[in-house]
Amino acid sequence: MSQDRVDLGLIIGGPQGGGIESAGQIAVRTLMSKGYDVYGTREYHSNITGAHSYFNLRARSDIARSVRLPVDFLIALDAESVFTHMDDVKENGFFVYDSGTSGTKIDKIAPMPKPLKVRVKDKLSKLGLGDTVADAIKYVESKNVKVVGVPIKELLKETAKRSGLSVVSVARVANTIGLAAAFALIGIEKEHIEKAINLYFAGKEKVIKPNVVAVETTYEYIKDNFKLGNPLPNGPYQGRLRMVVNGNDVVAMGKIAGGLTLQTYYPITPAADEALYMEGYRVVEPIEEAKKRLGLDKIGTLVIQTEDEISAIGMAIGAALAGARVATTTSGPGFSLMNEMVSMAVIMEVPIVITIWQRAGPSTGMATRNGQQDLLISMFSGHGDTPKIVLASGDHEEAFYDSIRALNWAEKFQTPVIHLVDKMLSGSLKSIDPPDPTKVKIERGKLLRKVDGEYKRFLITDDGISPRAPLGVAKQMISSLVHDEYGMVTEDPVLRNQMTEKMLRKIETIEKEIPESERYSLYGDPDADVLLISWGTNKGPILDAMERLSRDGIKVKFFQIRTFKPFPAKALNEAMDNSKVIIGIESNILEQMRLITRMTILRDIPHMIVKYTGRTMYEQEIYFGVKEILEKGSRKVVVSDGA
Amino acid sequence: MVRNWIEYRTDAWVQWCPGCGNFGILTAVYKAFAELDLDPKETVVVSGIGCSSRIPYYINVSGVHTLHGRPIPVATGIKLANPRLTVVVHSGDGDLLGIGMAHFVALGRRNVDLTVILHDNAVYGLTKGQAGPTLPAWFRTKALRAPNYQDAVEPVLIALASGYTFIARAYAYHAERLKEIIKEAIKHKGSSLVQVLQPCPTYNNVMTPKWYEERIFYVDEKYPDYDPTVKAPEERDRKIAEILDKFYKDPNKIPLGILLRDVSKDTFEERIEKIIPGYLKNPPGLRPTDLDGKSLIKPEEVFRDRLVKA
Repeated sequence: MSQDRVDLGLIIGGPQGGGIESAGQIAVRTLMSKGYDVYGTREYHSNITGAHSYFNLRARSDIARSVRLPVDFLIALDAESVFTHMDDVKENGFFVYDSGTSGTKIDKIAPMPKPLKVRVKDKLSKLGLGDTVADAIKYVESKNVKVVGVPIKELLKETAKRSGLSVVSVARVANTIGLAAAFALIGIEKEHIEKAINLYFAGKEKVIKPNVVAVETTYEYIKDNFKLGNPLPNGPYQGRLRMVVNGNDVVAMGKIAGGLTLQTYYPITPAADEALYMEGYRVVEPIEEAKKRLGLDKIGTLVIQTEDEISAIGMAIGAALAGARVATTTSGPGFSLMNEMVSMAVIMEVPIVITIWQRAGPSTGMATRNGQQDLLISMFSGHGDTPKIVLASGDHEEAFYDSIRALNWAEKFQTPVIHLVDKMLSGSLKSIDPPDPTKVKIERGKLLRKVDGEYKRFLITDDGISPRAPLGVAKQMISSLVHDEYGMVTEDPVLRNQMTEKMLRKIETIEKEIPESERYSLYGDPDADVLLISWGTNKGPILDAMERLSRDGIKVKFFQIRTFKPFPAKALNEAMDNSKVIIGIESNILEQMRLITRMTILRDIPHMIVKYTGRTMYEQEIYFGVKEILEKGSRKVVVSDGA
Repeated sequence: MVRNWIEYRTDAWVQWCPGCGNFGILTAVYKAFAELDLDPKETVVVSGIGCSSRIPYYINVSGVHTLHGRPIPVATGIKLANPRLTVVVHSGDGDLLGIGMAHFVALGRRNVDLTVILHDNAVYGLTKGQAGPTLPAWFRTKALRAPNYQDAVEPVLIALASGYTFIARAYAYHAERLKEIIKEAIKHKGSSLVQVLQPCPTYNNVMTPKWYEERIFYVDEKYPDYDPTVKAPEERDRKIAEILDKFYKDPNKIPLGILLRDVSKDTFEERIEKIIPGYLKNPPGLRPTDLDGKSLIKPEEVFRDRLVKA
């Protein structure tokens, strides 16, 4: 790590319910206070308490947008974390663990998955080591990693004594002790972590106090027993007003800023947190201009928890018919249930946004793990001929603006818009500048607030889009059956064709009005011979891997598909024409993006890097994957890093 | 009467079989709407799929013909987006109590100000006569290859248990009584169920008009002192006990009329107003979303819990 450019990776691991989420939140704020850009992602089991969970974060003085392995610092709050992450720290990095766990045998750790126990024990026994934490620590030391044992129990006792509280009541600050030990060794001044604690626990004085005392106690301990790290240079973001958001937050923010008035959902991981965050802001203060000109003192956004996902999409459709600007949020299993209604929304020409937080399938799969496995169902959802729009966001900022664009497109084109996001986005925290919603104009298409005389809801038009008066504005018939311009049911073959061809013209209008430039992003040297094609949250790790490849003299460009429907056919064809090695990257086993590309532009993506462990995509996986393809010409590289 | 009921007719061909109970229901609806003077533009009839769910095409108000089992979610969305609309759901027994049962129960929990008119003929007519969820066990209607070996559900009891605040039962061939009940159901603030018993002359050759007419009785005739009103939440369970005790003693008798009118509960819209003050004035379907395309908020002024001064 050079003095001017900071690039720091850190993992904190412990039991679910043991404060890993808070530790991550505090760590991100600490490093933001230090002036860095921060990205951090959480891995956890589908479990309430006890199973292993960890937060992997990266702070950089320029831009942080992915995590990598091995990391510089690791904090193992319990024995399972020691065994799970013993290979995750790089040479000369720090491995901080609770020295009180040294004697713990691996077989005594009930929540630890058996196959992992077997792998760890095999590895240790081949090296002539036993099966305790102390043995694992010996192994870590043998790899030139600096091990720091912190007596968490002793420090908890000291924290309790100094704050005048019982040891039991301060037990929850163990995570802060681990974090403080790492920051003391790294060279982060303690005022930053104290500021972070005050920010994160704002208003909860009883929680703040023992946490701050724990920080002081731990810094003293590190100073007395090891050595405080030399202070790192401050980052360039110091003094700037920023936000720390996860993907769920930022989509909720985008929707509210984008004029959404009603959202429905049925609880599902990892979508529910988006609706919950939104519900916390169901009444907000508008800007002064809105107060004055619209006479609105407050803006209300109705979030409804329904009885199932069928009802979630059904209610959203009903609300849209009555003039609301709507979305529903779900994940793969919920979207499967919604499919019949997607088809209904198409024939009823209802503007609706469906946000899909993809997770690892099939079926219930791994509810808290990542995947990009719902592209095909999104493209082909709904029976019958069902055109729709499908877009995918690559990072937190894109997700904000895409949420507004999705609402706009739904209303402009009067058809379902599927917004693909994933667990990696929902579960990762990112420092961002406050987003500026004025960058995307709010559009409501051919919405009528007044109708004189006769009204045809499904008027045949050249662009395939009919003026839309909500229920209550004009008397109308809306039917899920094939209907005429008035919405009245018909099975007449001539009318049937007229109405179906109107739908086809709508698809043409979508192709015309969503410019190619909004369907993709191209990064890197446009003349590079190596082309990476990907979508969604692989964006961050790809951009970071590209930096690393360019340091090796390998020039790479990256084509990010941002909308699958409409597809960036022209731009992708051009990018492929100008490249010698073409590599696709995605987090599913069927190579769904490759299939859609073949179907849409009749071209193959000859090389693929795929991941389907359910874990986040890492920088080094793409770096090594690209190198392997360049060196060996492999058709497919399967990557699987991360515990 | 302000409007003539003829105004509520459309020129669509009514495609039900001759003698279908739906005709009685349709006539009662025309007259109820006329007597309530419902504005066609501000009235929405929402239906599912099935013979009875064709009804929106025949009523000259706004209509939404949805999917099998799903009229309630769509109707709820319409009503919550614009509470000023009068929303009436028409649904068959298969639609409401078979495929759509989850929504039927959920509506009772919410008490949205909707009226649900259940066209109950105990068979799936449009698919040619399979057993509906209200067909009693061991009845064998003519399309069945074997007697019905599934038990029937009782929608009134489910509605009582789910929290509906207006529950009534009527008979399709008694159009005048039916009309009065529908009017009361629409006027009631909250979720209303009107179960309409309806002979199907084509497929239900067991539950014929004669079969019904031997069993039905009107509660206000047999028990003139019976008051269906519940004024306070704690009275509801006692009222349910009274209904069971009085009207369900004889399994061969079917009570008709207004069984429950619970005025003790807030509607869903009133509950939303409590958590989103201003909701009724500026509901989601009517409130502004932008200022000439500009967002109404600044994220840094609203989402303060996520701010960090680095």
